[in-house]
Amino acid sequence: MPDEIYFLCLLHNIGATSSDKSLSLDEITQWTVMEPQRVRENLEKLINTEYIQKTFKEGSEKYHVTVNGIRKVLSMYS
Amino acid sequence: MNCGHIELKVCMLTWEFPPRIVGGIARHCYGLTKALVKLGHEVHVVTLEFPGAPEFEDVEGVKVHRVKIELGHPNFLTWTFIFNHFMEKMVAALSHQVEFDVIHIHDWLTTHSGIAAKNFLNKPMVCTVHSTEIGRVQQLRSPDSYMIDGLEWWMMYEAKSVIMCSNFMTKEVIDHFHLPSEKVSVIPNAIDTFEYNKNVNKEAVRRRYNIEPNEKLVIFIGRLVPQKGVEYLIRAIPLIVRNHRGTKFLIAGDGWSRSHLESMAAATGYGNKIRFLGFITDSERVELLMSADALVIPSIYEPFGIVALEGMAAGVPIVASNVGGLSEIVEHDRTGMLAYSENPESIAWCVNKALSDHGYSNWLIENAKKKVNDVYSWESVAKKVTKVYEKACER
Repeated sequence: MPDEIYFLCLLHNIGATSSDKSLSLDEITQWTVMEPQRVRENLEKLINTEYIQKTFKEGSEKYHVTVNGIRKVLSMYS
Repeated sequence: MNCGHIELKVCMLTWEFPPRIVGGIARHCYGLTKALVKLGHEVHVVTLEFPGAPEFEDVEGVKVHRVKIELGHPNFLTWTFIFNHFMEKMVAALSHQVEFDVIHIHDWLTTHSGIAAKNFLNKPMVCTVHSTEIGRVQQLRSPDSYMIDGLEWWMMYEAKSVIMCSNFMTKEVIDHFHLPSEKVSVIPNAIDTFEYNKNVNKEAVRRRYNIEPNEKLVIFIGRLVPQKGVEYLIRAIPLIVRNHRGTKFLIAGDGWSRSHLESMAAATGYGNKIRFLGFITDSERVELLMSADALVIPSIYEPFGIVALEGMAAGVPIVASNVGGLSEIVEHDRTGMLAYSENPESIAWCVNKALSDHGYSNWLIENAKKKVNDVYSWESVAKKVTKVYEKACER
């Protein structure tokens, strides 16, 4: 499984599946126990494929899995 | 109402229900629950939340309760245990308003909540096995696979009745889990055939996918995982194009093998004829099936193969591997063609025949449509499931 898809699955399982459950870079780094640089690279790839959406909340960037991203994750698990 | 009467109160637990569609379970539960309601049962579905879907909705009489998953965890198995807890809570809350007669769960994913509900409600549990871990991965290797295999055994052990979708699955499960055959009922999947009775502008659909009027269209629809055998279709493509130069191939669906399969497709030298569509909507699925010249189902493992029924209803000639449930649905040379499993030459031979011989293809289509209407309707399946419920409710 490509690294960014594995990372997408982690974000899905953590529960970042809507804008009200979106997480900051720091929170994602802590949850996934990944290096910040690796997190940033994966986020960038997933934003380009529209599996992750970036929003600005309370002055900081937050990230959550889109509906297409959820479908992608579910196709991995079935 | 109590068991023994025709009308039952059913609590169905499933991790997927439309619009949350993972594989075949969502469509199965959707069709079955609507048909059960038509037979007079009261059906409550407890499932997981999905963006944009309401927490509660009435879908043609089916009461759908979507559970919010309030906690998460990166590990998939841990996550499933968490969502089962929230499903359990929902069943407990519902049980104050509804006196359920039977609990019906689908696959291992809802094992925990199903067994908990069975015990705190003191009602029988029925499970439907759509596939098994040993079948999906072929060999148990990881701790997670062993755990899932154990959960499957536990689910069937706790269930009063076990529903299998094919004789192939029944044999697999009885052999692997040493399940008493008396607990098992074989009830096939079904589809809503009326979805395929609509008029579709085939030319417009084909134009949308850049298929010229003089070109043939061969499609695959399914998850892009090794068990679906898409690599054998890709390897068959040069052998098909050799006979039918103007043929294009659309591969619809997603999965963790996608990038590997895309590379493979490019390496055939016919990458310009092969297009990967990713996830497609249900309406696109119907339109594509109704507009194609052949549907290939090259699975190497297939407990049932509902896409074969969809193809039969849509009127597209089917070329399927002679494995699992597919070999029970498709009658070779009568309702479709069965190719040797993992054999590109055999797949190509069948596709070439379907594309060359229109009279033969039309004959297959007519036979297939009749069979799907006669045997694989949700009404027929719901009646059989009702019998299983009634038997499970006997003390």
